[in-house]
Amino acid sequence: MSVRASTPILAAFSVPGVIVLALFFIVPVCSVLVGALSDGGSAFSRLIADPVFWNGLKGTIVLGTVAPLFSLFIGFSVALTLARLAPGLRTAALIAISLPLTFSGLIVAYGFILLLGRSGFVTLLLATIGLDPAVTGAFIFSPLGLGLAYSYYLVPRVVLIVLPAITNFDRNQLVAARSLGAGGLRALIDVMLPQIMPSLVAAFCLTSAVAVGAYGTALALVGTQVNILPLVLYSKISETGTDLPAASAASLVLVAICAAVVAIGEAVGSRRTRR
Amino acid sequence: MTLRYDAVSYTYPGTSIGVFDVSLEIGRGELLAIIGASGSGKSTLLKLLAGFVKPANGRILIDGKDVGELLPEKRKLGVVFQNYALFPHMRLWENVGYALKVRGIGKAERRALAVEMLARVGMGARADDLPGMLSGGQQQRVALARALVFEPRGLLLDEPLSALDAGLRVEMRDEILRVQRSAGIATLLVTHDQEEALSIGDKVAVMHEGRLVQIGTPRDLYETPVNAYVAAFVGQSNLWPGKVTGTGRIDTEIGALACDTKGKSNGEAVIAFVRPERVQPTSPSAVAEPGHFSGTIEADRYLGPIRRIDLAVPGGRIRLETHLRGPVTSVEIPPDAIRLLPVS
Repeated sequence: MSVRASTPILAAFSVPGVIVLALFFIVPVCSVLVGALSDGGSAFSRLIADPVFWNGLKGTIVLGTVAPLFSLFIGFSVALTLARLAPGLRTAALIAISLPLTFSGLIVAYGFILLLGRSGFVTLLLATIGLDPAVTGAFIFSPLGLGLAYSYYLVPRVVLIVLPAITNFDRNQLVAARSLGAGGLRALIDVMLPQIMPSLVAAFCLTSAVAVGAYGTALALVGTQVNILPLVLYSKISETGTDLPAASAASLVLVAICAAVVAIGEAVGSRRTRR
Repeated sequence: MTLRYDAVSYTYPGTSIGVFDVSLEIGRGELLAIIGASGSGKSTLLKLLAGFVKPANGRILIDGKDVGELLPEKRKLGVVFQNYALFPHMRLWENVGYALKVRGIGKAERRALAVEMLARVGMGARADDLPGMLSGGQQQRVALARALVFEPRGLLLDEPLSALDAGLRVEMRDEILRVQRSAGIATLLVTHDQEEALSIGDKVAVMHEGRLVQIGTPRDLYETPVNAYVAAFVGQSNLWPGKVTGTGRIDTEIGALACDTKGKSNGEAVIAFVRPERVQPTSPSAVAEPGHFSGTIEADRYLGPIRRIDLAVPGGRIRLETHLRGPVTSVEIPPDAIRLLPVS
């Protein structure tokens, strides 16, 4: 039996949420929009004409796709394993896995430099078996290395989103599929994946939005050598050629990309839930 | 096709629970029901045959061939699970046709075979529905169709009726038997419901603490149980510890009983076993003879055609079942109703 609250009571409960949304999203976005239009809208034309912006957009889309996909693969595998553990052990493992979420991007970047940089622990270890530190140590400062560093805090997000769906999945279905002749991988693909797809899509979209907007790790690792939108934005407010209206316009593009990715995730998730 | 366990043992890692030295065979078209309390190892036997766990010792043979190393998907056995484990995102025909899909059969043929199989279990008209739209009994029928569509070498049923309500359970029991008979397939039924096992099993095996205690026809199990555990587990029973005091006579906690003591020596400890329906209400006059008792009714359960009565007598209690409606104060236990079981 459900109890329906009256409309005024529901409205009253939604007030704090509306205030937070207004103060921390609508007002800042409007302020950035005003900034972008401050020179009569020419900031958008300058941005569109700038090849650095387009390269940045391309880099952002590639990074916002590849790093989440890699994280999704790793996170899904980890969640599959966690789901089989005893509840106590699973909770302990989850706490450990969630730790990266508490670190700032700069600390993560610094940690990766200590590990995989030119004098990093792993780099020096690999040097003992004959791998050139100049080559292996450069990896973390490349776009691929950046993707790996991103995965460090994207994987826990994937695990946290996907694990409940996997835990609630009736594993007898996999056993049934195998008894019907499907191999382990085929049973997973045919039976489990379609059922947990909404959470996989949600995890991809969330991690993609995080990867698109991430800034600290990228700045610390690759400076402005790798073209991604957050760093293009940074260059427009910190270097000699400061262009605040163009920076605002680039911000709006970033917000639009993140909003579109999250909206796609929500749309796919709710469509599958309705089925 | 025959299914056979040959001295099979398996222990769950880190425990002493499992199955130990089990040997049994299920012939073509035969239905073997395995019963036992929770943790007795009956479901483990099914998992071993299906290939979900590997035996530590012994062999599992399907049609004479050792399948111990074969993966579950290679064993070609149809399995119906307790919760049916239908795939909720697939339509009924897709569920039933899944085994055909993994065998590379095209969509049109797959659908035709699946719909035909669904029709055999009375679900042909619902082929395009999703499992979530079905009742428990309907899901059970679909699970049965899915397990049989690829003409498996054996059918394994893991407590298939336990999720259904009592009325539907009886109906589905007959349905399973009908489909199993028409398929002529060796079938293993795991259940904790002894009535279900006795009513549809050609043979029934009783498991206790991982060991096979007795295997036989339902009648064997009911009328000639090998020990007090089987006697108590299968049906209602009176079990009185006692001692042989002479030829044709034993003394028990409720008094002296006349019965066949062939093969027992004087003074040997035994357990006297009597089914409640073999205890006969009598007039109170003959109470001095062995096998005649008088007492007061402790519990009187009305079960429709019969009453199940617990009669308190000096030293113990006698359970009887009778269709008589009047008062019962005296009973007779005929000598041929008594079986002597060993003291474990």
